[in-house]
Amino acid sequence: MTKNNYNIKYKLESGTKKKIEILDGNQSAAWGARLARVEYVPCFPITPQTELIETIAQWKADGDFPGIFEQVDSEHSVMSAALGSAATGARTFTASSSQGLLLMHEILPNVSGCRLPMVFVNVSRAISAPISLWPDHNDMFAVKDSGWIMVVSETNQEVLDSVIMGFDISEHEDILLPVFVNMDGFVHSFTREEVEIPDQSVVDVFIPKKELKVKLDVDKPKSLGIPALNEYMDFRSQHHKAMLDSIKVIEKCHEKWAALTGRKYDFFEEYKTKDAEDIIIMLGANSTIGKSAVDKLRKKGKKVGLLRVRVLRPLHESLLRKKLEKAKRIGIVDQNISPGSSGALFQEVRSALYGMKPKISNYIVGLGGKPVQDKDFMDIFDDIKKGKEVRKWLM
Amino acid sequence: MIEIRIHGRGGQGVKKSAMLIARAAFLNGYKTQDFALYGAERRGAPVTSFVRLDKNKINTRGYIFEPDYIIILDESIDHEMMLKGIKKSTKIIANTKSHLKNECSVDATNIAMKIVGRPVPNIATLGAFIKVSNLFSLTDLKKAVDIELHGKKLEILKKNIQAAKKCYEEVKC
Repeated sequence: MTKNNYNIKYKLESGTKKKIEILDGNQSAAWGARLARVEYVPCFPITPQTELIETIAQWKADGDFPGIFEQVDSEHSVMSAALGSAATGARTFTASSSQGLLLMHEILPNVSGCRLPMVFVNVSRAISAPISLWPDHNDMFAVKDSGWIMVVSETNQEVLDSVIMGFDISEHEDILLPVFVNMDGFVHSFTREEVEIPDQSVVDVFIPKKELKVKLDVDKPKSLGIPALNEYMDFRSQHHKAMLDSIKVIEKCHEKWAALTGRKYDFFEEYKTKDAEDIIIMLGANSTIGKSAVDKLRKKGKKVGLLRVRVLRPLHESLLRKKLEKAKRIGIVDQNISPGSSGALFQEVRSALYGMKPKISNYIVGLGGKPVQDKDFMDIFDDIKKGKEVRKWLM
Repeated sequence: MIEIRIHGRGGQGVKKSAMLIARAAFLNGYKTQDFALYGAERRGAPVTSFVRLDKNKINTRGYIFEPDYIIILDESIDHEMMLKGIKKSTKIIANTKSHLKNECSVDATNIAMKIVGRPVPNIATLGAFIKVSNLFSLTDLKKAVDIELHGKKLEILKKNIQAAKKCYEEVKC
């Protein structure tokens, strides 16, 4: 292939020069990594993440990507290589999906436990068996106890921004934790939409190259991740504290990014929730469809809203409670299932809201990418309006 | 908002068709969204792709259930399945030798065979789509092809545009 396949077109908007391109989710993530000037990208392809890796591979072949790009023999090796690279202080990025992410699992808590910064993008895809290529969130929720900061995006712009913001949070000297950015396969990863590509100079100012205070260096040998039998709990407590402390760092990061780009993110996105009595809580790309249902019901005068969970770890529980103070009925929409229990987001949110008044129901939708439409969300609003606490599957 | 659904088989340029429509519309100031849905990537397997166009922000995503336009690149796929969710106002543009009532038809594969020398009907069929939809021009399609298929042989691209022009002229509704 020839150069420039992912060329950027320039467009003038209100007198400023903005680079606006139609990019899919995978390309948006790749752009985030490129603008962050990542130094090492180990990879192994898996649908629907493949195009993300292909995009970086193409840039590498074209001479547009100065970092090291390396295909290794499995996802287990990818995350191991990423750990090693991050431990030397190189800015590290990689991505996977579904079974690939599951194969990485042994290494995930090693990365976070060693307190190594990096950004990882998961392109959500249902887990096997049976095999599906289409999206749901069981792969992502399996990571929630691995000690990673987790951000779940809805749009391609948010993917690009979250990768860049991820390095700012991850490399903060009080935090030093890896960041997991999620997007949905197909309806997000393969969907092209308008994305503003920030200027390199903006990103350079936002995330300048930082030197790790503790890193592996052949000239100053030391060990990392060694046994700590008696001190283990101290390490875990520090890890947990760093995760809670990251709330302030994430807030600051959102403010800085908004000042540079005008795009303000939050832990939770409130969509017409201010006076809403009935609220759907969900995450991921399908939130766009949920919002469209909210719009339709608002036109009919219904007091409904949607709250999208964006930062899943750390879960900012006090903020979540504050945002839902006035809610009367809540429907938590899960695109995942913990078989024998309930949807994972339901468990998280209901626990955070313990002692509060709203009736909370759980709806399982879109497993294995089963298409959902605004009508489905309108049905959910109808159902929660009845005021009963139910757990249902939308088949 | 205008919603377009394209049906065909792997290798016929189903995904690329959606990308070309989106690109041409994007160049005309539309907000766009395009994506394709397929299983394991292989030639001959049914593929569906989708485009949304709007002058304002698009506030939905995912599968298009009730399209304004249906483009059929391969008539051997179950017709009823392809027409699912059809509205009274839905316009259908089919690459076919036969002409069905309520559908716009053009023998794009044959035209592509004659002009391009290969049975790849996607860009050709888009010529018919342009005629029927009047959303953008053949010149816009050419610009979109130049961007989306950058690096392909110019001669082939030129012939594809010629085939599109022929389909633009020959489509019957």
